[in-house]
Amino acid sequence: MLHMYLPIAGNSVNVFLILGLGGFVGLLSGIFGVGGGFLMTPLLMMFGIPPTVAAASDSNQIVGASTSGTLAHMRLGNVDIPMGIMLLIGGVAGGTIGVQVIKLLKAMGNADFLIAITYVIMLGGVGGYMFWESLQGLKKEKNSPATEEKPVTEKNAPQKSLMQKLPLQFKFAKSGCEISMLLPVIFGILVGILAAIMGVGGGFIMVPVMVYLLRMPMHVVVGTSLFQILFTCINVTVMQSYSNHTVDFVLAVLLLLGSTIGAQVGTAVSKRLKADQLKIMLASLVLLVCVKMTAGLLMTPTIMVALKGGH
Amino acid sequence: MNRIAYGLVTFLLVSLAWIVSSSAAEKPLLMELASSTLNISTFYNGTTLEVTGSVPEDMDVALQVSGPKKEVHLKEKGKVAGFLWMNKTDVSLENTPAVYMVYTPPGAVDKFLSSELGLGYKALSKDITINPESEDKAFIFAEYVKLMEHSGVYAIHEGAVSYGESNGNMKGFSVTLDIPSKMSPGNYQIKALAIKDGAIIDETQENLSMELTGLPAYIAKMAFGQPLLFGIIAVVIAIATGLIIGTLFKGGKGSH
Repeated sequence: MLHMYLPIAGNSVNVFLILGLGGFVGLLSGIFGVGGGFLMTPLLMMFGIPPTVAAASDSNQIVGASTSGTLAHMRLGNVDIPMGIMLLIGGVAGGTIGVQVIKLLKAMGNADFLIAITYVIMLGGVGGYMFWESLQGLKKEKNSPATEEKPVTEKNAPQKSLMQKLPLQFKFAKSGCEISMLLPVIFGILVGILAAIMGVGGGFIMVPVMVYLLRMPMHVVVGTSLFQILFTCINVTVMQSYSNHTVDFVLAVLLLLGSTIGAQVGTAVSKRLKADQLKIMLASLVLLVCVKMTAGLLMTPTIMVALKGGH
Repeated sequence: MNRIAYGLVTFLLVSLAWIVSSSAAEKPLLMELASSTLNISTFYNGTTLEVTGSVPEDMDVALQVSGPKKEVHLKEKGKVAGFLWMNKTDVSLENTPAVYMVYTPPGAVDKFLSSELGLGYKALSKDITINPESEDKAFIFAEYVKLMEHSGVYAIHEGAVSYGESNGNMKGFSVTLDIPSKMSPGNYQIKALAIKDGAIIDETQENLSMELTGLPAYIAKMAFGQPLLFGIIAVVIAIATGLIIGTLFKGGKGSH
């Protein structure tokens, strides 16, 4: 088996294993519009790569996969660029605030506890709601195949009127909505704060926010999310390389060779799936990660110490 | 006169023989490494290193490989809120080698892993100090050893030293050292001990240097020397790969 040495991680890896891993995570990002960091980092750690190097090299890889995926989704008309830019502005601001929040939490002590609890509750809550909601959607569709498009329900009416009162109204053509430009910025900030606290890219929080709060069509959500992730990860890669020297170029290239191809295949798969099918699959994935995290917290560890240096 | 000269020569010869034989008794142990430098190149995936030597017939040989000593920072896991296992307490171990391996000859391993011989984890823990001192050193160190054994840089290789044919009152020995890929570039010491009746009769030491070469050396130099440029290049290459693969796929599906 062909192995390559990773000079920054200080270990060698099986080339085909990493290509395959990249391909699998790229597939997920093409289908669901998530970066996949929440899966990739723990998997790389299992192969003996230090957590900081795993996270930084993964963000470099996501740059490649999301470029590839954004390109493919753009061709299908699934990227709402103005919406993506607004979310991105919010996300960057939120990320900066989030880093300060972590510092504050660490000073108060018990930061790890709060982070883990937030993570599990967010995963469980978001995954559970998406799963339930898309299951209802799939059931309805079975009973009455004629009602393909869901009409805007009465429940949204007051929420909508409040949204219309905000200044800077803008027509987001691809998303099919006319809302204040401030709204995606605000949501972006909230996601950015959460993502920074939990130490993940935040794609799996951003996607439900776009689906349920901004009411964007699922396919546009996937494309726009990838567009936004691309820029977030460019920033993370350069910052990590500059201040922590944790980007392993060999690892990132191996991962992105797999993931850029995976993202193309994923986009093709995504095109064939209905919105509710996409949502229920993503919800299952999020719930699976939630169960794994919870199990990790509840089970007695086999080794009672860990090397310091994770995020 | 002749007799005196003859006696003097005899005396000199006997003393010379005595000096030679006594210095041989002081240095009964000989060790040689197949190579004193190991290169880590692009496709490196750990390696092995042959060590050979000779020792008096009635003695045993054990080897110790140890690496740069450093302070390791650990998180001790503990229960939070009574039921959640999390990284809880900060602990550090000072004077801890990055690599520690012992190779013992055939026979009961306990005979060789003793504090008197300075071999094994128990002996190693004597040199290590824990911070804060209130923490249970024996427990933390034992857990740390488990963690290091898991990544292959700490190991006790029982019965790994093999003896060859005896040659007069000396016998040959050989060991294949396991060099895991996780063993980082740096300088390591390989120590051989000649042991008889639980005591060290002689010891000898050789240095092993591990160095990055070729692509890994270039990347490491760049990542630490020009980190901003390195980050930007990494991003540009990632975007370029994404665009190239994206365009290739468009070409493939362009027919519809």
